Amino acid sequence: MKRYILLTAAIALLIVNVQAQNFKETLQKTFVTFDTSFNMQTKIEQSNKLSMIAKKWNTEWVTHYYASYGKVILSYNERDEAKRDAYLDEAEKEKDEAVSILTKENDETYVLNAMIANARMAVNPMNRWQKYGKIFTDNLDKAKAANPDNPRIYYIQGTSKFYTPKAFGGGKKAAMPYFEKANGLFAKESDADITKPSWGKTANTYFFEQCKIED
Amino acid sequence: MTIVALLLSSSFANGQYNISGKVSDDKGRPLLGASVYLENTLDGSTSDSLGHFHFSTTEKGNQTIVVSAIGYATAGKPIEVNANISNLEFKLKSTAHDLESVTVTAGSFEASNERDKTVLKPLDIVTTAGANADIVKAIQTLPGTQQQGTQTGLFVRGGDASEAAMVVDELIAQSAFFTTAPGVAARSRFSPFQFKGIAFSSGGYSARYGQALSSVLELNSLDLPDKSNVNLGINMAGVYASGAKLYKTSAIEATGYYNNLQPFYGIASTNFDFYNVPKGGGGSAKYTYKPNKDGILKVLVNYAHFESGTIVPSPFVVGENLNFGIKNDNAYSTISYRQQFKNKWSFYTAASYSFNQDDVNYGAYTSLGKDDRAQFRAEAKWFAASKLSFLAGGELQNFNYSKKFDTAKWSTKNSFTETQAAGYIEADWSPIYWFAIKPGIRYEHSAMLNQTDLGPRLAMALRAGTHGQFSLASGLFYQIPDISYLLYDNKGLQMQQSTHYIANYQWMKGDRTIRVEAYYKDYNQLVRELLATNLPFDPNPYRTLNNTTLVNNSGHGYAKGLEFFVRDKKTIKNLDYWISYSYIDTRRLYKNYPMEATPDFISDHTLNIITKYYIDQWHTQLNVSYGYGSGRPYYNPNYDYAAHPEKFMSDRTPDYQNLSLTINYLRTIHKWFSVIYFGVDNITNQHNVFGYRYSTDGSTRYASVPALYRSVFVGVNFSLTEFNKDEL
Repeated sequence: MKRYILLTAAIALLIVNVQAQNFKETLQKTFVTFDTSFNMQTKIEQSNKLSMIAKKWNTEWVTHYYASYGKVILSYNERDEAKRDAYLDEAEKEKDEAVSILTKENDETYVLNAMIANARMAVNPMNRWQKYGKIFTDNLDKAKAANPDNPRIYYIQGTSKFYTPKAFGGGKKAAMPYFEKANGLFAKESDADITKPSWGKTANTYFFEQCKIED
Repeated sequence: MTIVALLLSSSFANGQYNISGKVSDDKGRPLLGASVYLENTLDGSTSDSLGHFHFSTTEKGNQTIVVSAIGYATAGKPIEVNANISNLEFKLKSTAHDLESVTVTAGSFEASNERDKTVLKPLDIVTTAGANADIVKAIQTLPGTQQQGTQTGLFVRGGDASEAAMVVDELIAQSAFFTTAPGVAARSRFSPFQFKGIAFSSGGYSARYGQALSSVLELNSLDLPDKSNVNLGINMAGVYASGAKLYKTSAIEATGYYNNLQPFYGIASTNFDFYNVPKGGGGSAKYTYKPNKDGILKVLVNYAHFESGTIVPSPFVVGENLNFGIKNDNAYSTISYRQQFKNKWSFYTAASYSFNQDDVNYGAYTSLGKDDRAQFRAEAKWFAASKLSFLAGGELQNFNYSKKFDTAKWSTKNSFTETQAAGYIEADWSPIYWFAIKPGIRYEHSAMLNQTDLGPRLAMALRAGTHGQFSLASGLFYQIPDISYLLYDNKGLQMQQSTHYIANYQWMKGDRTIRVEAYYKDYNQLVRELLATNLPFDPNPYRTLNNTTLVNNSGHGYAKGLEFFVRDKKTIKNLDYWISYSYIDTRRLYKNYPMEATPDFISDHTLNIITKYYIDQWHTQLNVSYGYGSGRPYYNPNYDYAAHPEKFMSDRTPDYQNLSLTINYLRTIHKWFSVIYFGVDNITNQHNVFGYRYSTDGSTRYASVPALYRSVFVGVNFSLTEFNKDEL
């Protein structure tokens, strides 16, 4: 009987532990699943979960940061223009939330601003490049001023160059130095702590390899 | 051990419940990707392609279940969790119509970099074949305008060039066009690259503007440049250079150019000879300062000098040629400041001074025309609520015109000075997402005419379906008599009037737009010359009036028409085209017309087809435009007008046709972004005729033709944007 009591107590303790569990683990698991999945349904599910995490632990800036990031990525994967913008509206709300917790922008939120601007532009490039192109570069400049060693700055810049037509000064050759620079900085970055964003390494390596292949 | 297992499973079974159900949209279709969860927990899931969701929870008691999906309003309801719950049903309401608010489009075409939902972009104007980067030429491909070849200006919906105002940063551009010889159409002074937004109103425009019976072309100059840059160009009409230096919160920009049309006219076969080929130059400087995030100051100075000597058919003695020489000097400066406060208030104030001088010799006669204008505007906009705003403002104008004839025949100087004050108020209200209304009123006072007028304006829009909307616009517009009358005698003259009624339907989805617009326009109080005998009619637009010409405001007229516009950037990849068609029925009794007639600048049917095709692989843009205008009225003195008054202006010229092409080749050479352009206007060398003039005895007629039929234009533009050295 004693054994049962002990076991029951252990189980009760386990449940309490699960509830008091640090948000980091949940966030880590959800984000990694989101970031590594190529299945749209999974991505939507995990993005929804990121939003739920942000609601539950709404005083942690980083939960809002990831919730925002999730919506940006979904926007890129959506086809309907109105929905793409609606995702970005959500992304902006979460980003604003993160900034208000931080009380001011940091390099990661500047990068996020640049990503949102880039995604806005991608909805309708012909009509929006002028407006959002400037917001994009301005925010990356600010991110650089805040922390020049953030690899995501150069990764984002590289992808933008990568997709810009050659005639307008883009292309693989122009993009390569950015990915190269990001690669070096990613190597120095640790991914141990989810509250210190470290995403982008795999994708950066992929783009860097793509740049080596001649057109 | 089995007991332990049982205990374990029962413990969980007791604490965990399954929740399932279905999410659909307001039309009952299953919704994929909706997030369903218990508020403030991590218990939830996402709906699948059939709209189904299910999840389990350890929560108990009273909970709130929340359902959210992109593009839909979030739904939620309280539930009590003490058993498994299934068959929950959620219907989400679409918020799609909230994403786009309804806007008034009747009578207006907007090209803006800042707003998504505009029919045109400033860049579209630059790349229109045949427009040669002239804003007004490109605007002439839109519905409501007339094709031009021999007259300068914008002719909108039955109105002549004097009835269309050009406005830069809310200030009137007094000399918007270069001055040329009679019968030669001049281009506008503005480069499309200076502007971030262009709005063309073919009627029913806002209370912010007045003194234009038919149309307002509104140009909004660029703010701070994106980056420091240098721009160099050379083409068959000259060379130019511009540069911008961007500082943290300010920028200095400067341009300079020299034009000489020798190479251009050299290889073309011109219909006129030049004894002094058009040449000239100018420059501008601009300072922009942003004292804070929502404020901007702009200061601009601009100067240009041009001269030309053209042998043109004499407008005075039909069949003879005349040496027409002109030296034009034009200067203008503007200063403007805009400040926004927390999305609640926006203030704008601007002032400008412009000066223009035309030193002309008509054969042996010389004349010196001078005009200047000082103006001031101040306005405030209050965003009272998200869908309600009020605009109020005022403007002051002072302008002087003088024309001095220094010959033995007329040693006279004629001049006038006018001071105008105006005030306006306008509301913009969208009480519900499918309806918007914009009432306004404008007060105008003319010191010269000693007259005060009130012009009410009203516009509204009604959404019809997800992508369609109806708009209405109406208003009463005033304009002082034409300068040619005011220079001689303005005693007793009053404001001319027009009333516009416009209805349109616009359907816009992504990159496809369809517009249909109908209008009726009533002209009153037009200026008429009271001649002892107005037959034989003198069709010379340059005829000289004098102090003995009696004039009054007994003229009138109407214009009505139907216009279509289609634009499609989507159907064929890389192909962008628009088609505009206008039908007009207009007659008026004004100037020296002996009876009501359709004026000589009117084509009943006008068609423009503009295509732009981008070939990715070659970095080349291929632009082809086709323009058509049905025959225009002209005066034939050979009719017996006493017996057949209806014959007045009843003859029509042959139809106008123009096919043009431009090819733009883009590439980056080192760090220089280069555009090489090649254009042919009137490829088929169509001999377009814009009217006929008859000899005094009526036996011989001479066609009014443009300066050139077919022409070729080649040039290259290099631009270098500052390469940020520490970017890596």
